Amino acid sequence: MAIVNIPPLGEEGAVAQATAPSHFWRTPIDNIRNKKSLAWFGLVPFFLFLILFLLIPAISVFAQALHDEDGSFGFSAMREAISGQNLDAFIFSLKFSAGAAFVGVVFGGFLAYAAATAKRPRWLRNIVSSFSGVAANMGGLPLAFAFLSLLGRQGLGTKILNAFGWDLYAGDFKLGEVSGLITVYSYFNIPLMVLVTLPAIDGLKTSWREACANLGGSAWTYWRRVGLPILAPSLLGGFLLLFANSFSAYATARQLTDNSKIVPLRISFFLGGDISIGEDAVGYSLAAWMIILMGISMAAYWLLRRRAERWSNS
Amino acid sequence: MRQSRSQRALGRLLPTLVLIASAIFFAFPLLAMARFAFQNLQVIDLGWNNLFEKWSFSSVTASFSDDFFAEALTLSLKLAVGTALFTLGLLVPTAVWVHLRLPKARVFVEFLTILPYVIPAIALVAGIVVVKPHARWFLNSDYSLIPFYVVLALPFTYRSIDTGLRAIDLKVLVEASRSLGSTWIATLFRVVIPNLRAAIISSTFLTVAVVLGEYTISDVLLKRTFPSFMAQYRQSDPRGGYALAILALLGTTLLFVAIGILSKSRSTRPQQVSRSQENEILV
Repeated sequence: MAIVNIPPLGEEGAVAQATAPSHFWRTPIDNIRNKKSLAWFGLVPFFLFLILFLLIPAISVFAQALHDEDGSFGFSAMREAISGQNLDAFIFSLKFSAGAAFVGVVFGGFLAYAAATAKRPRWLRNIVSSFSGVAANMGGLPLAFAFLSLLGRQGLGTKILNAFGWDLYAGDFKLGEVSGLITVYSYFNIPLMVLVTLPAIDGLKTSWREACANLGGSAWTYWRRVGLPILAPSLLGGFLLLFANSFSAYATARQLTDNSKIVPLRISFFLGGDISIGEDAVGYSLAAWMIILMGISMAAYWLLRRRAERWSNS
Repeated sequence: MRQSRSQRALGRLLPTLVLIASAIFFAFPLLAMARFAFQNLQVIDLGWNNLFEKWSFSSVTASFSDDFFAEALTLSLKLAVGTALFTLGLLVPTAVWVHLRLPKARVFVEFLTILPYVIPAIALVAGIVVVKPHARWFLNSDYSLIPFYVVLALPFTYRSIDTGLRAIDLKVLVEASRSLGSTWIATLFRVVIPNLRAAIISSTFLTVAVVLGEYTISDVLLKRTFPSFMAQYRQSDPRGGYALAILALLGTTLLFVAIGILSKSRSTRPQQVSRSQENEILV
């Protein structure tokens, strides 16, 4: 860049002037503004904000997690966070989160397809997508309360099922156990999946189906060879998003149960409880493992989404 | 088409069944909660025969007169206003800058805004508990929740402002304003912001919805926000707790319906833009 500042001489100089005609007229301030490296300074407030209120807390979680009992650096707490009862908690959380994500992907995918392909009534699609926008964000207390009144021990749904001869609580059903959590989390997972997959389903062109039919393919061939492969990145990405969403949900789970097998509840138990010094590192290690797990799923989600956008853009 | 008639009938029946089943699944929990909240009967007595008896709003009015109700609601509303202002002050200039000067950074900034998914509320609050001894002067205040709520709402708010900016020809607008002699500040307030009105309003509503529903951080830090009050109140009076939850739900639903209407009123323009973006990608 320094070359630009040397005044050009002779014919070569004239060429340089011609290729950079505007340079001569610009004020120094404009020059500074146009340097790309300086343009990054405009993002400093945003970066500072993220560092202060997101990255420093996250890094301090890791700093605490990587403490041994004597205060020196070490991995003992991180190891303890994935052994014994803590490991059970992770396995339990992985189980219901994966289950909830799977149910969400299957039912959300079908619902999105049903809404996208239904010709009549016209308002159906709008209703489904607007409602999904509301319900996907309906985590937290109201959701837990709604399911407690429907499927709690005295719940109205429980009574209705009872009248049909199905005693919901005869087995090991509980809102705080795997089956219950999957049911409750489906309430926001299914709509979230609808929101994520609707654009992808819209991207399926009728001409592809026609081409498949012209070549003698059945509906099954179309889905097996064309539809599902194109939707695969969206569906898989949706699965990861729903998984992360279910794994990290705290408010709903907190109201449904005191079950400390749920990792977020376990973290809050360590954060708020009267536990001996050194023990608290385990709580932070649980949080650290959670961040690692979420990081992996969201990174994969990000890549899959970019892959999926290829079809919706062409 | 080779499909037999029965196959086609199945193809039409299946989506209908899916839609009906979903309608039941999504409506029933809300209806059950409404009965719990607004029927003045013992929960154990609720049945078909008394479906229409003794409906009343007494549970809600009772919860209004609780000493902590007004306090908690005021705190949450103040937090919502603070979070919304903070969000706009931070994100509008940032997003405008990215669109004008650093289009290359768009993907990177978008990536940063989904970080709150990677560091969910429960992990963030663990970090806050660690930092707390070093910043008591700040974190002891209830209002210290504001920046963290800005973080939690970031994935939604940034996307909404970003979509708004994509829908207008920002570069032309700003260049026109600048070449007519306007300052940067005046350009921002008199040209950019009026054109982003819908995006700004919808990101504000999203922020309000997030703040009024946030429970994780405020529960762990023992702040007395509205959701914390709701959880506590249910312990003493379940019906009142359910009734408050229904009110909160109605409030947020109205906000989201408003967002839907706002984004629909602009929907003719974003489509044109996405068309032109398609062309860019093809080129």
